[in-house]
Amino acid sequence: MLKRMVLVRMESNLMVLAPPVGRDRIISDFPKWYTPEACLQLKDHFHRQVRAACQEQRTGTVGLKVSKVVVLGDLYVGKTSLINRFCKDVFDRDYKATIGVDFEIERFQIAGVPYSLQIWDTAGQEKFKCIASAYYRGAQVIITAFDLADIQTLGHTRQWLADAQRENESGSSFVFLVGTKKDLLSGPACERTEMDAVHLANEMQAEYWSVSAKTGENVKAFFTRVAALAFEQSVLQELEKGSCHAQIRAGASISIRREESSVASQEGASGSSPGCC
Amino acid sequence: MEKKPSPGKEEGEGGEEEEEEEEESGPEGALGKSPFQLTAEDVYDISYVVGRDLMAITGDSRDVATRVTQLQFKIVRILEMLEALVNDCNVTVEELRMERDSLRKEVEGLRSEGQPPNTEEVNPGTNKIVVDLTDPNRPRFTMQELRDVLHERNKLKSQLLVAQEELQCYKSGLIPLNNSQLARRDPQALVTSPSSSKGGKQEKTIIRKLFSFRSGKRT
Ligand SMILES: Nc1nc2c(ncn2[C@@H]2O[C@H](COP(=O)(O)OP(=O)(O)O)[C@@H](O)[C@H]2O)c(=O)[nH]1
Ligand SMILES: [Mg+2]
Repeated sequence: MLKRMVLVRMESNLMVLAPPVGRDRIISDFPKWYTPEACLQLKDHFHRQVRAACQEQRTGTVGLKVSKVVVLGDLYVGKTSLINRFCKDVFDRDYKATIGVDFEIERFQIAGVPYSLQIWDTAGQEKFKCIASAYYRGAQVIITAFDLADIQTLGHTRQWLADAQRENESGSSFVFLVGTKKDLLSGPACERTEMDAVHLANEMQAEYWSVSAKTGENVKAFFTRVAALAFEQSVLQELEKGSCHAQIRAGASISIRREESSVASQEGASGSSPGCC
Repeated sequence: MEKKPSPGKEEGEGGEEEEEEEEESGPEGALGKSPFQLTAEDVYDISYVVGRDLMAITGDSRDVATRVTQLQFKIVRILEMLEALVNDCNVTVEELRMERDSLRKEVEGLRSEGQPPNTEEVNPGTNKIVVDLTDPNRPRFTMQELRDVLHERNKLKSQLLVAQEELQCYKSGLIPLNNSQLARRDPQALVTSPSSSKGGKQEKTIIRKLFSFRSGKRT
């Protein structure tokens, strides 16, 4: 995905304009994993460099950036409900199939820096795959969802992940495996499914979460975790390209730079991103 | 693109009785009606009543007369709008009614025959489907059309979100109203057409947009 950003120099600093975010979208401490047995990072604090950069407002374009999250999984597992619970704090018992793709934007303030996620919801129906798959490209986060009460859907997440990864540079996206409808089961049945899921998550190099859109359990914690990991990665990528920004600051009053979003850092900071250095 | 058959509207045997609701209370009666039952005829009745009352006010005074005339233009405009709305609404209701009738017929046909008509006569061969042109729910759009519509919708949704955010900035006093030199998120950074777009040409557009938006000068 080609992201375009418009930067206008004001006085000496880049100003990012965003209205204040709700209190529950402010993240100051690094959010914790769901289970240490399947998590992407064990540490419970921001990367030192990232923390420093945020304090000194050296995060460059991160505040202007919208990171892409795609949510995949079988029809009816609860993808739309999960997103709606988080973004609108609603739950609808009735089912309405998602047509093709849809998205929501969620704004955060992480370590004092504004940050946005664009969360793409997909249909999960075979007949829409050819449309939805075009939207997988450039995903910084891939979320594969399954229904905790329907074990078949767990197995299918492997295929969904493969579909999403085909559209992205290998290793460039964070992967999450999410079991939905946690309210529907409890006790040993839940534990057994979770164990299977944790096992699969490790195979997929994914972080595992159990959530319920109906009760709201873990939904906010989950997306907060997603946002923090994506944010930290974005800042680190930005820091790698630090020299470019020095130029932007010093020189032009208006600069436009483009970048192959998350792919850029994989290719190294030295000038592979067009229009930059 | 493909030629689309016109919607299968039945002719002749549409034998539904129209519910005629004549209110016999003279032109004033229209004002007492539920807005959802209003017909264009009622709008004309309202128009007559209002016009008559205006004439009555006018009397002899010149000053009042001019003001009433001005008011009259506005009322006429409002009535025209109402007329358009009512007509449009009635057309929609009529269309829905026809759809419903043809659906009913379809269901009856399926019930009595146990299978859809036509299938025995036509053998389309493998990888083809038979489309019943009278079925209002038949497939009508191509994948490409759906793709375009979705793309368009996503674009509009992102523009809406950006505009809402912008509005919030103004509301919270974050942007002084006369300031035109601030960074903002570009709406096109949000929605990404699935196909990767070419850079060069669009860069200019974004700048132009940025500044035209801020300074209120549309180019
Ligand atoms: N009990 C329960 N039902 C859920 C939950 N999440 C979704 N559902 C229901 O599952 C059905 C499918 O949900 P939806 O979000 O549309 O699935 P999608 O096709 O993956 O987008 C709907 O009827 C929802 O009400 C949940 O957390 N608990
Ligand atoms: Mg859905």
